[in-house]
Amino acid sequence: MKEYNIEVLKDAANRLLFDMSDEEYQTLLEEFDIITKQMRLIGEDNTLDNLEPMTFPFECTTTFLREDIPGTPLVREEAIKNAGNKTGGQIKLPKVVL
Amino acid sequence: MEFEPVIGLEIHVELKTKSKMFSNGPVLFGAEPNTLVVPLDMGFPGTMPVVNKEAVIYAIRVSNALHMKIDHELHFDRKNYFYSDLPKGYQITQNLRPIGSDGYLEIEVDGKTKRINIERLHMEEDTCKQLHFNTFTLLDYNRAGTPLVEIVSRPDIRSGEEAMKYVEKIRSIVVFSEVSDGKMEEGSLRCDVNISLREKGTEPFGTKVEIKNINSISHIQRAVDFEIARQSKILNEGGTIAQETRRYDDAKRETILMRVKTDAVDYKYFPEPNITPIALSDEFVDDAIKNCPELADSKKVRYMNEYGLNEYDASQLLIDKDLSNYYDELTKYSKQYKLLANWVNVDINGYLNKNNITVLNFSLKPQELASLVEMVAKNTISSNQAKEIFNKMISDNLTALEAKKALGISEQISDNEFIIKVINEVLDEFPNSIVDYKEGKGRALGFMIGQVMKKTQGKVNPKLTNDLLLEELKKR
Repeated sequence: MKEYNIEVLKDAANRLLFDMSDEEYQTLLEEFDIITKQMRLIGEDNTLDNLEPMTFPFECTTTFLREDIPGTPLVREEAIKNAGNKTGGQIKLPKVVL
Repeated sequence: MEFEPVIGLEIHVELKTKSKMFSNGPVLFGAEPNTLVVPLDMGFPGTMPVVNKEAVIYAIRVSNALHMKIDHELHFDRKNYFYSDLPKGYQITQNLRPIGSDGYLEIEVDGKTKRINIERLHMEEDTCKQLHFNTFTLLDYNRAGTPLVEIVSRPDIRSGEEAMKYVEKIRSIVVFSEVSDGKMEEGSLRCDVNISLREKGTEPFGTKVEIKNINSISHIQRAVDFEIARQSKILNEGGTIAQETRRYDDAKRETILMRVKTDAVDYKYFPEPNITPIALSDEFVDDAIKNCPELADSKKVRYMNEYGLNEYDASQLLIDKDLSNYYDELTKYSKQYKLLANWVNVDINGYLNKNNITVLNFSLKPQELASLVEMVAKNTISSNQAKEIFNKMISDNLTALEAKKALGISEQISDNEFIIKVINEVLDEFPNSIVDYKEGKGRALGFMIGQVMKKTQGKVNPKLTNDLLLEELKKR
């Protein structure tokens, strides 16, 4: 398994277009350590192949549905701020279909 | 060799909710690009999808109209693919448990009813709009996340006409149930057709060709008919059909190759972890069905059985949902059902077409038009006078009575005794006309009616005058 370190997390954050403080990276790294150890522990259990995979940690249903009320959209400049190339309020890409 | 077409349709219907399927981003057609976007629509980290209640109600309505089994527990899945039309990297859809399954609808072809089975109806989110130019593509994320239902038929359709009738029926259902505006030209109803040929009398399916994004109902029939002919020709010449995706070009009246399909794309579906299963109570599902506006089929039965309209008049009223709603309003104020239908189908429709507006922008209140129609029914005004009054009501924004007064139209006289008296005066004055009439000169009758009209300043009821004149002539 790939080892996690601060550089890997910073690279991932950079690819997802966000950044954090050094302290937050440190907290995240410690959480990754815990997760990695738990994964290793689960991996050592040979009976797992007989179990159905779960999507949720426990069986649950809700009844909540959102009322159909529109909210305030982002300001356009904010919404497309991260795009490298824009024109007329739209994101511009090289054409990839014929 | 004779072939049988095997056709299945996938129809995407945009729901006319106010907000998106999983976010509260507004849904509007024609807004400035990228102005209806909230963080979830752009796939920003940390955002979570929350299911729109109205979209679920709409999906239930359509499922019910299509005689489907309705799942009382909502499950969503991720369809993973990497493409610029969906910034999340996946589309939230219903793969394993669609809300509606195993339904059907019936179409009329050559005077016979044919049942088309429907495999599934599922909810999902729309992608962004991509505008392709020669060397670049522009992305507008306003549409990203708009609620959709996808309706997938069984391969029961056998011709272009059946395909067209099927789409027409689906369109009617989504429009009359008020879940979508069903405008193919604006992309709120989009249709993909799967079509293959097999030797008549055999079971195995041939190689399937997909025709994507057909954007008008008439194009569906033409695209399917062209594709049947194209594939038949290839097979008859000993060729084989390639598994490919094509599009329909109406200018050339042919389907054009977009891409050859190799292997099926693996979308790596898995249950959407950010939406837990949602239980729908029986009451919720029943209410969604109960509150569905009346569908066209039901209205047609009502118009014919309760109002005595013929099939043509009833069908004409149902071409446009808003026009049929206007007719329904009229019937609250008048029981002259046939006369009202004529006014809606001929006069109002003509006026709307001429002025290029819809009935929603039509200024005449149903109550006022109904009172005008009542005047015609009671013979207090003639049909021609009614048309004059109708135009005056619209142009000067008047009630029927005000318009009639403004035009100086006095009430038609339908008093038999008075009319017979005037008729006899005319007959006495023009004995030659009686002779002409008896000798079969048709003009004589018109002349005598004209004289009665002249004596009464056109106030007598023309039909009644005609009938009474014929009676009086018999006595002479």
